[in-house]
Amino acid sequence: MLSGLSGPPNVALRDDELQRITERLGREPTLVELHAFDAQWSEHCSYKSSRHHLKRLPTSGAGVVLGPGEDAGALRLGTHAGDAYAIVVAHESHNHPSQIVPFEGAATGVGGIVRDVLCMGAEVIAVADALRFGRADDPTTQARNIANGVVDGVGAYGNAIGVPNLTGNVYFEEGFEANCLVNVVALGVVKESELIHSFAPKGAEDWAIVLVGKATDPSGFGGASFSSLTLDPDETAGNKGAVQVPDPFLKNVLMRASYRVFALLRERKITAAFKDLGAGGLMGCSAEITAQGGYGAAINLDSVNVAIAGMPPEVIAVGETQERLLWVLPPDVAPEVVRVYNEEFTLPEIAYNARATIVGRVTSERRYVLRYCGNVVMDVESEFLTGAIRDDLPYTEVIRHAGSHEELPAVDVETLLPRVLAHRGVASREPLYRRYDAVVRGRTVLPRGAAGAGVLAPIPGSPIGVALAVAGNPRYGRIDPRYAAEHAVVEAMRQIVAVGARPIGLTDCLNFGNPRNPEQYGEFVAAVEGLARAATQLDLPFVSGNVSLYNESASGTAVPASAIVSCIGAIDDVSNVVTPGLKEAGSVLLWIGSRELAVGGSVLAELLGLQGTLPSISYAGERAAVGILRDAIALGVLRSCRAIGAGGMLTALVRLAFDAMARRRAIGAEIDFGNPLCEAGGFICEVSDDSGIDLTGALRIGQTIAGSELVVNGVRFAIPHLFEIWSSPLAELFP
Amino acid sequence: MVEPARRAFSVSARIAVPVFPGTNSEDETVRLLRDCGGNADLVHWSHGDRLAEYDAYVLSGGFAYEDRIRAGAIAAHDRIMDFVIDGAASGKLVFGICNGAQILLEAGLVPGTGPRRRPTAAFAKNGPQPHFVCRHVQLKLAIAPSRCAITAGLPPGALVPAWAAHAEGRLAATPQHLDEIVVGDHLAFLYAHADGTVDDAAVPNGSALHCAGLVNREGNVLAIMPHPERDGWNFNHLDRADGDDVLAPSGGAVLFRSFVHAVALRTP
Repeated sequence: MLSGLSGPPNVALRDDELQRITERLGREPTLVELHAFDAQWSEHCSYKSSRHHLKRLPTSGAGVVLGPGEDAGALRLGTHAGDAYAIVVAHESHNHPSQIVPFEGAATGVGGIVRDVLCMGAEVIAVADALRFGRADDPTTQARNIANGVVDGVGAYGNAIGVPNLTGNVYFEEGFEANCLVNVVALGVVKESELIHSFAPKGAEDWAIVLVGKATDPSGFGGASFSSLTLDPDETAGNKGAVQVPDPFLKNVLMRASYRVFALLRERKITAAFKDLGAGGLMGCSAEITAQGGYGAAINLDSVNVAIAGMPPEVIAVGETQERLLWVLPPDVAPEVVRVYNEEFTLPEIAYNARATIVGRVTSERRYVLRYCGNVVMDVESEFLTGAIRDDLPYTEVIRHAGSHEELPAVDVETLLPRVLAHRGVASREPLYRRYDAVVRGRTVLPRGAAGAGVLAPIPGSPIGVALAVAGNPRYGRIDPRYAAEHAVVEAMRQIVAVGARPIGLTDCLNFGNPRNPEQYGEFVAAVEGLARAATQLDLPFVSGNVSLYNESASGTAVPASAIVSCIGAIDDVSNVVTPGLKEAGSVLLWIGSRELAVGGSVLAELLGLQGTLPSISYAGERAAVGILRDAIALGVLRSCRAIGAGGMLTALVRLAFDAMARRRAIGAEIDFGNPLCEAGGFICEVSDDSGIDLTGALRIGQTIAGSELVVNGVRFAIPHLFEIWSSPLAELFP
Repeated sequence: MVEPARRAFSVSARIAVPVFPGTNSEDETVRLLRDCGGNADLVHWSHGDRLAEYDAYVLSGGFAYEDRIRAGAIAAHDRIMDFVIDGAASGKLVFGICNGAQILLEAGLVPGTGPRRRPTAAFAKNGPQPHFVCRHVQLKLAIAPSRCAITAGLPPGALVPAWAAHAEGRLAATPQHLDEIVVGDHLAFLYAHADGTVDDAAVPNGSALHCAGLVNREGNVLAIMPHPERDGWNFNHLDRADGDDVLAPSGGAVLFRSFVHAVALRTP
């Protein structure tokens, strides 16, 4: 049955890499070693063609508790009852698996990101997702089926483990038909003093290596190198074996058992190491957790709990079976931890042969050694296996797309506003996100859909809040990768500011094409420059991230450049959170931000068949806008607010009116403005009084009125009718 | 901290929130019970024997035993439920929310018109679309408050804000058993709009009779699908007023208060 798995080695390593391995070992690698290097040196694990570019990103700052380098980063949130708390954050993609088997691919994406946060010693408090599909309204594509499967997969996993889906976004654009994007973010909360690292600590010689979780099976064998190849539809069936199988039920129990172990270790004041098994499976995880502490490891593959007897050693070593984690523990504590998982939390009764098992020990020799059936099947230098390898690939400089200055025709708001609201980039996402549990654990302040950012009160008994937003507009990515990346940072930050939170840090997931295609690689390099510029200008550090390359169709077309950014915000007291919807008639409506009439990449441009220039980004302007909002909140005059995004200022205002309607407040607005459908960024704000606000960076455009009516430049709209137009399109596609 | 409220009742009544493998709403359920003055503990499945010591049970949300076969079907046969079924028979209060409600139906405790563990109704897969649905709803009390000990502290026709978050919440039963539910006055809560009107649009899952919750004949076991504890503190409310203490229990907490009060009254 398993013979197919151990046939001729099917690895993605290149000839020059194979040669380097043979030279260093002084012999031919064993089959296990071959698969180990294949996984460990894949782009997915090694970041060999991206790491040196990522160094441009700012990663430090006063608020950084832990920067990039471990399974997740951490940012300072605030102090409660004398304890400093950190928000742990990780951000990843699961694109290729989701294209092949959407439900399982997306579910395991959530499962993986949750483990990245869990293994830092944190309680997992939220997930978010950024999804990119082809046009779902095009019946000739699979986009609708893939979107359905992905959304159900994200939901099924998060719902079952009891982690709310706090925020996210979805785009349906040309270019994602053959390669969808499924990016997931997870947040955790932990006392700074109780953070657990993912490397063996000082003095860990001879400590026990404990594997915890699902029985290892042949699923996910070759997953790391599969993610580092281009998808070919003809090989879909063959690739399915590389996709892992999710088990959120087991994960639910594993999480709770791990929380119990955290408490046990804290009581004993023991510093241990904990790490998620992801790419490269048991081998990748145990090699990295020991090598990063300056150690080697000796693992006995016979000790691994397996689902099927007789699996070849390379499958046990590098297979990517889900729902597994690895501890490095003092030998006297290990049996107690094993008891918590196996007896108190009854892992073997939860899933077939699931358990915690001591599988090896930490060694001081700095060699990574695997034994199986009494034989040494792998014996290599730890550093050589896990150390930085680098591919300096050639790339083409991406020229900034200047666009053409087209005279904007007089915009007929009466016909265009309904068309903008019904556009696939603007229409309500509720038919999709209502399949996600947004409120489990009872800590949600702003659930998904209530605002551009989600907000939680993560520490029971404390008013401290955390906000999360994700951004990344593929319509800009298609035009200018560098601009799109900058804009993603700015847009995510604006969403955080709009709910009254203070931005404290960023994560990114960079989804690009083939690094061996100089033009596609050039888009990636340009995007990193854009991220670096925006983050530096806004003084926001990146604390974790992920790179996903080879996102292209079999014919060689890359997905639109997709730097997807999440921004984390801190809130001292959630009573100051800006709640959704217009509040009162007679309020002043302010537009804060740029007033340029640039339509490039906008929904309006598509509807009018224009090219146009991209709206410029002014960091001085951004800082000023943030200052104005902060002042308005401090003065207590801000009643509601929304960041301007797809569909422009008018769409943002209409959304505020919809949110009021949902709370049974019949409040409309009357405004006068030249082109309210331009997507030049900023904020629309409802304030009770603007006398205390510095109006140099803000413009008074109208006021709220009693009744469910919107009056734009004299044109009248019934808000319930607009709501119908906005909420129907996706409800029809995704009933 | 909102801890002081915990001591507001000087009763020794103890409430258990059992944790099955797959439960996921245990923490907020215990927290809100405590914030409403209840003396509540989590009881893990490995320590199920301790359940006999408790005076009341709250079965919280989640996916016990992975919702295998049908939500609640396996958990209804768990040893934990031996204690809960015995407790209900001896008059202890039992309150099930979401997965807890599904388990109570599968255990035959509500509506309780048939033998134990021989359910006469189920919370079945949502309709008309079979998807999980997460939606803010209002629970409308449809029985006289005193018909159920747990709702005795609510005004008649009370609206309780809550979140529906489930894939299997549609009341389904044969016409005969649905009749029994109506005739026996088991229909404790209906889905309603914020103004109190009840119609099909207020129902998130296609539930028969607009049913959101059921009570047993004796009035000591209540099963509701939506989660009041997820709209249980001021900070959870999207339309809270300025100046409210964001950490204070409110909204859905009204039902938890009523439950805690009933437990105190009933316990000697």
